[in-house]
Formats: sequence, structure tokens, C-alpha cells
Amino acid sequence: MNIDIKHIAKLSRLHIEEEKQEKFESDMQKIVDMVENLPDIEDAPLLDESNPMTLRKDVAVTGKFTRDELTKNAPHVTAGCLVVPKTVE
Amino acid sequence: MELYNLSGYELSRMLKDKKISSVELTESVFSRIDSVEDKIEAYVTLDKENALNKAKEVDDKRAEGKELSKLAGIPIGIKDNISTKGLLTTCSSKMLSNYVPPFNATVMDKLDSMDIVVTGKLNMDEFAMGSSTETSYFKKTKNPFDTTRIPGGSSGGSAAAVSAGEAVMALGSDTGGSIRQPASYCGVVGLKPTYGSVSRFGLVAFASSLDQIGPIGKSVKDTAMLFDAICGYDEKDATSADISHKSCLSNLKADVKGLKIGVPKEYFSKGIDDKVKASVLDAVKLFEENGAEVKEVSLPSTDYALNAYYIISSAEASSNLARYDGVKYGYRAKDYDGLIEMYEKTRSEGFGDEVKRRIMLGTFVLSSGFYDAYYKKAKLLQRRISSEFSDVFSDVDILCAPTVPTTAFKIGENIGDPIKMYATDVCTVTINIAGLPAMSIPCGYDGNGLPIGIQLIADKFNEQTLFNTAECYENLVGGFKSPNL
Repeated sequence: MNIDIKHIAKLSRLHIEEEKQEKFESDMQKIVDMVENLPDIEDAPLLDESNPMTLRKDVAVTGKFTRDELTKNAPHVTAGCLVVPKTVE
Repeated sequence: MELYNLSGYELSRMLKDKKISSVELTESVFSRIDSVEDKIEAYVTLDKENALNKAKEVDDKRAEGKELSKLAGIPIGIKDNISTKGLLTTCSSKMLSNYVPPFNATVMDKLDSMDIVVTGKLNMDEFAMGSSTETSYFKKTKNPFDTTRIPGGSSGGSAAAVSAGEAVMALGSDTGGSIRQPASYCGVVGLKPTYGSVSRFGLVAFASSLDQIGPIGKSVKDTAMLFDAICGYDEKDATSADISHKSCLSNLKADVKGLKIGVPKEYFSKGIDDKVKASVLDAVKLFEENGAEVKEVSLPSTDYALNAYYIISSAEASSNLARYDGVKYGYRAKDYDGLIEMYEKTRSEGFGDEVKRRIMLGTFVLSSGFYDAYYKKAKLLQRRISSEFSDVFSDVDILCAPTVPTTAFKIGENIGDPIKMYATDVCTVTINIAGLPAMSIPCGYDGNGLPIGIQLIADKFNEQTLFNTAECYENLVGGFKSPNL
């Protein structure tokens, strides 16, 4: 399988600098060559029915945070709102 | 002996009997940090002022005659991917270098209620992706037994701090060996609990179906004491197991008479250093001499496990790390033109190379046209591996294997070659894939005086068997040996 690093980076919302592309592509190629060595196992349902864990009930979160607490770590906040670049003209 | 060098179990009794105060103990640990941290570089953030305040508070409570937990007043270090309210939690990444959580992980709420003293946040591989702590954005932690060598990873700061006396105990997290491998390299005890037995709420996610928080200590009792404190059901973690946990420390029985031990032959094949193999097999022989029944067993899919692990963990990482977009928290690039460029520049500048590699591998194996050939095959193999372990555990009580194929390697030796680095996880990843509990305890030293670890593996929720076997070994050969720093 040949790796197209520019395409995978784009899908991953990453930008790989020109000078690092060759090294990334060759490393990724080696990793993919390694991991593709898997046995063919007869298709079966992926859900493990013997799993003892049960999913929680769909209940509302009880923890309470103030707007200030929730936005304190945001890089750009104005009037209590998260600021992002304009996306609609 | 200095207080920082004693085990948590001994210190707990000394505190209870009022032979020492928590302030004295905390000062001893911070004095040790002052003298060796420049060499070891285990911490990303130190929290001395709050630690001493907490120690004083615990001493006051004890003086008032209040009933306190076994861990009250003991200085414990926390891996920097476990959320600590009001205290930096960076995941050793530029992306979260200024992130202060507004909430505690469930394990931190539990430990706070038991009055532990938090020393600070411990260095790790960035977002727990690595096996040497070299991918940290901030610093390279050193192995206390040889500071030219790595401490292992990703919980390298946690294992090195405990080994060097910079924390009495520590919390780590283990996705593919990240507690056991550094514990082995640094000569301490590390437990990866059964998946679902310790809440993951507040653990910054890497691969959610494999991640598990666990304890690192100088002794088996320390590790049992800390595991008892953090395990248990949590409604905030959808995969938390709703089962009752009995205290592993109270039920500790250092006895292997009649214990059925399996030695999986695949874990002793190519790539395992001769000295590591010999030390592990010597430990098995000792168990046999003390009444255990030993037999060879087979886990035929072991050879494929590393491949399945890197597919599954990277797939989950690519999804989990999509949240780092420079909007809600963490780093944001300075110059960009539009939303998409902001995302790309933020992520490219905020993540290191190893994290980028894993995100891209995960994106690739989940992408259209490749899902069946990679992710689906890996998930099917995961089921087969689990089923092989179940079969083996119908015949034996515990498995013994090396924790890592070699002892600690030199700093810089493998960092340029991801395949060589990934291979260090070959003995540990199967346990995460199958969701089992496993523990690494020191079982010898190589010709350079570097620690070797034996890995004990049990069936799900059978941590008690691990602790009993490990305690028996520790009693027979002696406990933790401090590095010469």
C-alpha cells in the first residue's frame, strides 16, 4: 500500500512542512507495512456479547460550571463567547 | 534511612502512630526533589506550597483525633494527563501547555477525599504516545539507575519519580504498557488494572477502549493500597464496571502454594534479551519451589498483537484528538486565514511528530477503502486474542512473562525509528487488547545494574491474585532497591 502523506495529512487537519514530508512518508510507509500483517479471520459480529460492562443510563449531567470556568481556557473569548474566524459572509 | 526512601505502607503506619508528621514527610520529599530533579527531570509542574498546606491540614486533623485514611498525608505524584482542578494538566504537549482543568478526574476526587498530598504533575510522552518519555514537549526524563538512559514511557515521569524518591507513590496510565514498561525499567511496581475497574473520567483520552489509570509504588503493598483507593464504579465513566471491590491490601496473602502458573511460550521467543529471559524464568522457578504448579501454555495470536494494537489505538486517537482545534481550550496558532487554516496551523504547531504520526495512521486505517483491511481485521483479531486468554485462564490462575524484551535503552537510541520504539511494547499490548489486569515487579538486574521486570497477568478483575503472587515474590527476594543518585 503506497502512502500519500499530503492526502492523509489533509484528512487529519494537519499540515506537514515540505522539508519533513519525505521522513513522515517513509516512516508511515514502514508502519503501515508492519501493521498490515494480520491474519484473515472469518467475519463475525464485532460486538462482544460476553462483555460484563453495561452502558450507563442516559441521564443529565449533574456537574455545574459557570460560563467563566468553561471559557477560562479558551484562546479567544469576547463577551463570554468563544471567538472563531468568520465562516459565513 | 531518609523518609523519602521508605515505602508508602511503612510511612502510613508511621503517620498513624504519630512517629512522623506529614509536614516532615512532605519536606523530606521536596528536599529530595531539590537535590535530584535537575538530574531526573520527572516533573512538569511542582506544587510545593499547596502540598505543604495540605500536609499541615492533615497533621491538624490527626492531632484532633479524626479518623483518617491509610493514604492521608502521603505525598503522591500525578501523571500529567489526569485532570487536577486548578493545577496545570498539559499531557506534556504544547497543545495543552496552558490548560488548567475546571474539574477533577474521579480518581483525584477519591484521593482528595482520602487527604493525599499532591506533589505535582509528572512528565510523560506527549498525550501518552511513546515508550520512552522522549516525545514530551517539555523535557526528557532520565532513568534513575542510569541517567544516560530513558525511564520508559509513557508514564516515565511517574516511575522515575517513585524510583528516585521524588514521590512516595504515583498515578500513571496504561494504554499499551505505559505503567508496566516504565515500572520495569525503573525497578518499581506498576499495576495496569482490569479495564473498567478504575474510572477514566478526567483522564485525557488517547485510546478510550484501552486506557486505564493505575498505581506505581516501591512495594506491592503500596500499589495495593493505592489501587484500593482509586478503583470502583463511577457513573461518569460509561465503561466503568459496576461490581464490588474488596480491599486487595486487607486480603493480601503472600502464598503461591497450589497456584497454577502458565508460562506463555510466545513471550519468550525472538527479540527477548537472554538476561531478561533468564531472570523471569528464575522467578518462575522460585514460585515452583514454593509450591506453585508451572506449565507451558500457548497464546498463538501474540505475534500479531502489536499490529492490531497500533491500528486500534491510533484509530481511537485520531478521533479523540480531533477535539484540539484551538477553539475551546489549549493552543491556537497566531496567523491564519479562515477557520480551516486555523485548525490546520493550530494542530500542526501544537502537536509533536509522534502524535501527528498516530493521528495520520488512525485516519488512514479508518478511511474509506481501507477500513476493512485494517481496522476491522484488527478488531476481529482483538476478539481472538481475548478468547485465547479466556481459554488459557480456564486452565491456569496466572501467567508469567517478561514486561519488556530488554532493559532501558539509551536516550536517543530509538527515537528516530518508530518501528524499533513500537517493538518495546510487544509483551504488554496484548493485555490492553484483552482488557486484563497485569503487574510488573522487579525480578533482577542486567550486567549494567539496570532493573528487569517480570509481568504477572491474571483474568479479568483478579487483581488479588496478582497482588498475592507479587507479595510472595517480594517477601522471598526482598523489596525495592534504591538507585545510586
